[in-house]
Amino acid sequence: MPSQPPLPPLLTPYLSDQPESSLTVISSVLGATSNWLVLRYLHASLSNTANSNISPESDGSIGSTSRRVVLVSFMRSWDFWKTEAKRLGLDLARLRDKRQFVFVDGLSELFTPPASASSSTVPIGSATHATLPLRNRPTPVPGRGPLAAGSLDRSAPNRPVQGDASNSVKLHFRGRGITALDAIEKDIISELDRQRASSDENEELLLIIDQLDLLLAATGPGLGIGATEMADWVMGLQQHAHATVLTIAADSPLIHNAATNVHGDRTPIETEHAALALGLAHRARTVMQLRMLETGAARDVSGVLRISRGGGWNGEAKHSLDEKELLYYIQRDGGLRVFGRGES
Amino acid sequence: MSFRKRNVGLSTGADRSAAVSSQSAPIEPSPGIRPSPDDGRPTTSTGAPSLDNLLAGHAGLPMGKTILIEENGTTDFAGALLRYYAAEGVVQEQKIHVVGVPEQWGRSLPGLIGTAESLEEKRSDRRKDEKMKIAWRYERLGEFGAGVAGSRDPPSQITAAGGESEAKPAFCHAFDLTKRLTHAGISNMSFIPLVPSKDSPFAAILNELRGALLSSPANTIHRIVMPTLLNPTLYPPSASQPEHVLQFFHSLKALMSAYPTRVTAMITIPLSLFPRSSGLIRWIELLCDGVIELCPFPHSADTVATSGAATSVEEPPQGMLKTHKLPVLHERGGGSDQNVGQDWAFTLSRRRFEIKPFSLPPAEGDTEAQDAAAPGGMPKKSDLEF
Repeated sequence: MPSQPPLPPLLTPYLSDQPESSLTVISSVLGATSNWLVLRYLHASLSNTANSNISPESDGSIGSTSRRVVLVSFMRSWDFWKTEAKRLGLDLARLRDKRQFVFVDGLSELFTPPASASSSTVPIGSATHATLPLRNRPTPVPGRGPLAAGSLDRSAPNRPVQGDASNSVKLHFRGRGITALDAIEKDIISELDRQRASSDENEELLLIIDQLDLLLAATGPGLGIGATEMADWVMGLQQHAHATVLTIAADSPLIHNAATNVHGDRTPIETEHAALALGLAHRARTVMQLRMLETGAARDVSGVLRISRGGGWNGEAKHSLDEKELLYYIQRDGGLRVFGRGES
Repeated sequence: MSFRKRNVGLSTGADRSAAVSSQSAPIEPSPGIRPSPDDGRPTTSTGAPSLDNLLAGHAGLPMGKTILIEENGTTDFAGALLRYYAAEGVVQEQKIHVVGVPEQWGRSLPGLIGTAESLEEKRSDRRKDEKMKIAWRYERLGEFGAGVAGSRDPPSQITAAGGESEAKPAFCHAFDLTKRLTHAGISNMSFIPLVPSKDSPFAAILNELRGALLSSPANTIHRIVMPTLLNPTLYPPSASQPEHVLQFFHSLKALMSAYPTRVTAMITIPLSLFPRSSGLIRWIELLCDGVIELCPFPHSADTVATSGAATSVEEPPQGMLKTHKLPVLHERGGGSDQNVGQDWAFTLSRRRFEIKPFSLPPAEGDTEAQDAAAPGGMPKKSDLEF
């Protein structure tokens, strides 16, 4: 049991209030990852109905707009999100069965064909030769062929761990360029639409995309995908959700190398990433920036969270947004403390 | 929790069967795997005890995680760590997959000289005090092994201990870099060559790894070893295209998450060829679970270091070690570990790779410089007083 409340009071207004068609960008760096904040978004959106009898009557539950969430994760598996959410007291598996939460798996089969299809084509023995020298003649190959085929039958318990995640949609990147992106977009949109169709009209649909910049980095202009295409891709998804939360890496090599006055080589991966990150920040209503302490590591501070208005902030009076810079600390048990500088 | 039960079951003669039956369920049958003291997830040893201790309180590398060792300069300290890692896997009879290097690499693994705790005991005989707090777990494990050797008659207990040889319960072993490993499991290593192809050079590697994981029995533990990734003498130029190498890392991550309890990987990369300030390396770091950077001192530094770096019994440090990212900890948000942000120094000697907190030595030979500087630049204390 975390001793802290799962949602720190300082963060609650930011987590639970996303106006229509707003974009929130969470930027992270290598030493200050964004997973904990995504989990807090999940908790803020899903916990009202999940355990309404447990949660205290906070101001978030007055509106009683229950939410549905679609989480697209390109870097982390379902198991990670499930176990980490459980530490917050959020049962994602149950919520998924209730169709209130949908996980879209962008990790396991994004660039690789599914294990069952590939296993028949794996050329075992073509290149595996044990340490024995002079053994890479083709003679062992026919001997291994039936062995590999036979092993498929008894390897049923040896399958990758996917029984639990098998009913989540897996994204595939096939081919190149915009057609490949469109296929992924279509998969996500079909999930979004299905969620929307089954929800009431007062239910808001929140789309969270975790590290979509991976898709750009791992493809790049060599495969016909640049920052413009990615930005359009995000735009296309945004139209199908009430609000969108994105996480993106903002490490200094990825952002600052793109400037022309930096000596050294600028590679497409840096220029495209910077263009995407800056473009998204300009479109965002809120930018949550995570970084490490500039003054070095501290025992009781994990990093700095800066909340600022993005370029898409249009001065609406109804939803106020205070710009803030806070420190946060993730405890061993998963509890979170958020506090201002100089406070404890 | 499980640890206490095990201790009770082995040391006391009474009520053994009950204790054994209750403990055998949670304990992994595979040798070389033990639950993390932090959160109980299975971990395996990297072959270097001090590196194990660095990994965010898990006292080992959690299963299903990738660790990236980066090295500056032309030295091969990272290669030594990688050999320890592979040798530990051989001794624990895990399946090793070595990518990209010829089979001679497997013959140069360091020789086994015993368990890590036996070496530690020998050392701590010299300075026997409670300074070894960080290794208390090893001490207890040593007792545990002795207990098995002393009372070995009940067969159920032997199965619980994992086998008959006394080396089995050991989590981590000590290796000697000047000797060569002779072990039956060494022929069990598989070497995955880089086959030239017009497509991604990593596709064949992934297929191979996936096939090996799929076709091996479910209790086999695998280690993936990738020496000097992207080194141009091993890898074709197209390998460093982001769409190839980053897709490979992503697929490797997917593979690890599909078999979360059966694989670990250690990868080294030369930073002099691929600096950390490039976006490509940063993405590789983001895709790995642990990132450790080695910054060896220039060779002239060891003459400086001998003047006062450490006491006479300890070797001078050979370089700095930086932890940029630790498995599990940073995935959760990071920052709460006492090891993060410390300055670490490493020393590679014949028998161990040791990581210690780095402390600047008192500048011994610098007194003349201070004296010379005092009359000119620095005002004396009396001048400052009113």
